[in-house]
Amino acid sequence: MNMRHGRYLFILTFLLPPVGIYAIYMLSPYVQAIYISMTDWSGLTAAQTFIGFDNYVEMWNDDQLHKALWNNLILVLVVPVLTLLLGLFFASMLNVGGRSRGGAVTGVRGSSIYKVVYFFPQVLSVAIIGIVFKYVFAPENAGGILNRVLGAVGLDGLQRLWLAEPDYLIWIIVLVMTWSFVGFYVVLFSAAMQAIPRDIYEAALLDGSSRLTTFRKVTVPLVWDTVQVGWVYMAIQAMDGFATVHIMLGINGGVQGAGDVLGVAMYREAFAEADFGYAAAIGVLMLVLTMVAAILFMRGLRRERVELA
Amino acid sequence: MATVTFDKATRIYPGTDKPAVDALDLAIEDGEFLVLVGPSGCGKSTSLRMLAGLEEVDGGAIRIGDRDVTHMPPKDRDIAMVFQNYALYPHMTVADNMGFALKIAGVSKDEIRRRVGDAAKLLDLTEYLDRKPKALSGGQRQRVAMGRAIVREPQVFLMDEPLSNLDAKLRVSTRTQIASLQRRLGITTVYVTHDQVEAMTMGDRVAVLNAGLLQQVDSPLGLYDKPSNVFVAGFIGSPAMNIATFDVKDGRATLGNADVAIPASIAAKVAEEGSDTVVLGFRPESLTPASSEETGGIPVLVDVVEELGSDAYVYGRPAGPAAEEQADRLRSDQIIARVEPRNAPQKGEKINFTVRQGSEHFFSVKTGERLEP
Repeated sequence: MNMRHGRYLFILTFLLPPVGIYAIYMLSPYVQAIYISMTDWSGLTAAQTFIGFDNYVEMWNDDQLHKALWNNLILVLVVPVLTLLLGLFFASMLNVGGRSRGGAVTGVRGSSIYKVVYFFPQVLSVAIIGIVFKYVFAPENAGGILNRVLGAVGLDGLQRLWLAEPDYLIWIIVLVMTWSFVGFYVVLFSAAMQAIPRDIYEAALLDGSSRLTTFRKVTVPLVWDTVQVGWVYMAIQAMDGFATVHIMLGINGGVQGAGDVLGVAMYREAFAEADFGYAAAIGVLMLVLTMVAAILFMRGLRRERVELA
Repeated sequence: MATVTFDKATRIYPGTDKPAVDALDLAIEDGEFLVLVGPSGCGKSTSLRMLAGLEEVDGGAIRIGDRDVTHMPPKDRDIAMVFQNYALYPHMTVADNMGFALKIAGVSKDEIRRRVGDAAKLLDLTEYLDRKPKALSGGQRQRVAMGRAIVREPQVFLMDEPLSNLDAKLRVSTRTQIASLQRRLGITTVYVTHDQVEAMTMGDRVAVLNAGLLQQVDSPLGLYDKPSNVFVAGFIGSPAMNIATFDVKDGRATLGNADVAIPASIAAKVAEEGSDTVVLGFRPESLTPASSEETGGIPVLVDVVEELGSDAYVYGRPAGPAAEEQADRLRSDQIIARVEPRNAPQKGEKINFTVRQGSEHFFSVKTGERLEP
């Protein structure tokens, strides 16, 4: 056996198992899902017939699915923007926003405590977050925290049956998702900001830069790489939103299905309506949309890389 | 243009008792180039950062001109600083880096362009204005940092070891550029360095700090010729001064068979403080090789000879009959002497050095202060 042959064998030995496992457990489900989406399989029996693109045509005409799609669009646009802006703002205040009398560059007073507090939601499971916020927005006689607080401060006029108003539902989901994700981005951006040399901030201080200007012109450009990664990750998370919606609003997406998202719709079609074929079609749609969103965000946010000297 | 006054300025870092800067009293004149020098941890950078407003002042006051800036935020002090690592904004071009402060101050675009252009011309940076810092060499980055300070046209320049990241050759040429630039602009400058050669070559006056305390402020030659205490004597001068403790007896200072005549006034002062020893310092150039039959010299065994062309230095250790005592009493572990470069001894040779009369420095054994004849 010559040397060349031996080397290929060596490489193949190490390459084949991981590629094989990836193919079996990652790629084949996609292929299967695409196939199932072109059948009328109920998921309960072995019987399935190939029906081509019928499920996709049905999606095109499904009003409830349009509602879910619209809600996903709101989530994917609003949640990342809110989360990243808040995350950047908090991280900046925790790391470089403080101004002691001596002018040294530090976080605001008590920042080490805030850092822990912001991370709390991240250690709670989504299920608990969902249940907690169900109570927050519940009617007053069912323990609704928000309504009680509004009542206590004399703002009775603002009390609502929050989860019974179709128009509010998706915005409540936006709020809950932002609340639960922001801590992670505070930690992520904090790490990026810690890597910026202190003397750059001192130079900005001497140049007369205010906190806001420093944030806009120095901090944000220097952590932009991290923001970009965070944005893509956040968009993918917001595209999902299944757990939060399912736990807070139920399998139908709340009153009149107004808080429906694609994930919940897929789950409903598969396990409540016993229509695996249609559910698989929704899954394929989600795959395509998530990929498109990720690519668009990565393209749109691309800037020249900044190297910290 | 302004004077800078440190008035018993003190900085105590939280969690420590010992001040990092202890009651610093220093008056810097308008247009002066003052160098703060000292070993690491002596408080020189802290003093500069106190003046910049980047470090709190725990006691005393700092004034720029007539303004008390002790607790003023940095941006209101009308100063510009050059940092050791330059602290350029990595995401901005050279022009934006230099114009950032003006842009914040609301200066018009044309004015910014003019002033940045002028500074760039002065520093030979015109062709690099559109580049980012990462595309510049170390020396160019250093000049951009200088440019950023110049463009501001501040009352005071602060420089925190701006040359320490440059290679040796560039450091020497930039040293002269900065000094001549400062003289041309006439802006009061406070310059921090740990390198005493930099201090001596650049400063109008040099302030020597040690352990948070100001040791002496004087012109470079003043420091060299009349160091006010043992620390300054040992710190200023390259190679360093030889310092040893000598016995005082009958108007002469002796150490083993080394014997130096001392003025009567010095002997009187030593007697006055009730001691019978004196610290004697002599620079390498004050030692002259003597013919071996002469007495009163210090026999030195040559360890290393540094031949620099214009000078040659002998590094050795005492090798006479009283070598052990002499070595014990020396502040450093070697004796350094300047010799004729074209006639330098070989290592391993033994030479008898005598101290040239009148070139010695005397210091009190008890206080370390200079004793003036």
